Amino acid sequence: MDCREFQELITEAVDRRLNTPITNHFNAHAQACPLCRNDFERERITKAVLHSKVQHQSIPSSVSTSLLAAVENLRPSARSWRTMIFGEANLNPAVALVAILFVVVGVASLLQTNNAVPLANNRNIITQSLNNYSAAMTGTLKPTLISHDPDAVKNFLAKDTPFEVSVAALSDCDWCGGVLSEIDGVRLVHVVYKIGGEGLLYVYQVDMSEALRGNKIGLPEKAKASLAKTGWYFEQTPDLCNVVLWRHKNTLCAAVSKIGKDKMIALLSEKDQ
Amino acid sequence: MFAFFLTVLNPSQSLHKEFEREAIPHSDILYNYALRMTGNADDARDLLQETFLKAFRFWDKYEKGTNVRAWLFRIMKNTYINVYRKAVKEPDTVDYNDIQNFYNVIRESSADANDLQEKLFGHLLDDDVTKALEALPEEFRTVVILCDIEGLTYEEIAEFVECPVGTVRSRLHRGRKLLYANLFEYAKKRGFVGKD
Repeated sequence: MDCREFQELITEAVDRRLNTPITNHFNAHAQACPLCRNDFERERITKAVLHSKVQHQSIPSSVSTSLLAAVENLRPSARSWRTMIFGEANLNPAVALVAILFVVVGVASLLQTNNAVPLANNRNIITQSLNNYSAAMTGTLKPTLISHDPDAVKNFLAKDTPFEVSVAALSDCDWCGGVLSEIDGVRLVHVVYKIGGEGLLYVYQVDMSEALRGNKIGLPEKAKASLAKTGWYFEQTPDLCNVVLWRHKNTLCAAVSKIGKDKMIALLSEKDQ
Repeated sequence: MFAFFLTVLNPSQSLHKEFEREAIPHSDILYNYALRMTGNADDARDLLQETFLKAFRFWDKYEKGTNVRAWLFRIMKNTYINVYRKAVKEPDTVDYNDIQNFYNVIRESSADANDLQEKLFGHLLDDDVTKALEALPEEFRTVVILCDIEGLTYEEIAEFVECPVGTVRSRLHRGRKLLYANLFEYAKKRGFVGKD
């Protein structure tokens, strides 16, 4: 092997792409020719330095979430916020009023806090859950951790949380994410599930005794009564958001989604992790 | 069977699901490439998002069964060229011909190459190496990023950048030479090597 042939093989030698016989010839020339050997070493070192100093960075969860939300918004069935508010306002002023109230409350809460979870002034857990569901849909509510593994999300959320956190392994769930927040010193857990082909399912979780006491956050009387009697409470908003409340050990869970009521209840009835 | 009925009843929904399943898992490597090309996290996020939105818009043009990662990569590269390269001031890049002279001079030096990494580059900051990489002309930077950071094969890179494997090898060789020269300059600035 001469110097010209050696030079042509340097890059593949650095990347270990040469077969054994050629590698042997290559090494023999490197031993005999210091200039060629230095050329090889310089390229090898350059690759090694780059590899050690500039490493692959995993995509941040916030970038991943906003990407998923952007793609989700392209779903043909997904209506734009203008359609959701003004489109239906032409048909039903009451719906428009509710929608505008949601927007006003959402904006007010965003102005009040830098928390990743927009907190509503309203102490009603159902209203808070609906606001947070909207925030999840628009990407304002950003999970701190997103994973395909519900256990990973549960472990993250359960740390320093004084009540039992529920993160279920739901059927058809592409990923789930979690974020923690506080309102007036009360710990809140938020879990978002991406259900393949269906959309998002948001679950709000808080200490049951705190919800029943009603000092800082609370429930409407009809929800309390239903929970006490059946262990469940269901309601549907005028814009077809389904809200399901249930008790999981010492935790009150409030799920919100636009996926069908039956499917939603079937999902939530699956065994908690 | 159920999936078949879903497809027939709602083809757009099925297309969307297929896109999420096929394309989204490649967001990680694409984000990294975007980060290295744009040089900052905000632009990388925007470039990534724009790439996926375009990809979804043209998803029906994607030939099923071919390399979706390469297809996404080409969309990102074109988006970068058309939008970001014009908008963002790139760091000054280095001309290969200038470097060739430098390289011929340094080639004559009798330095023990095995000590070079430790002496010259071992103490360089990560930021110096990143800047040295960003100063490479785009065609060289792309192959160096994909090979040396992302660990792709020559064949994969060739598919990504739509050129023969031999061209990938040649660009890698020249790109690494340029990068060596850039690193050498940073080592000089930091005083790890003599000014002469």
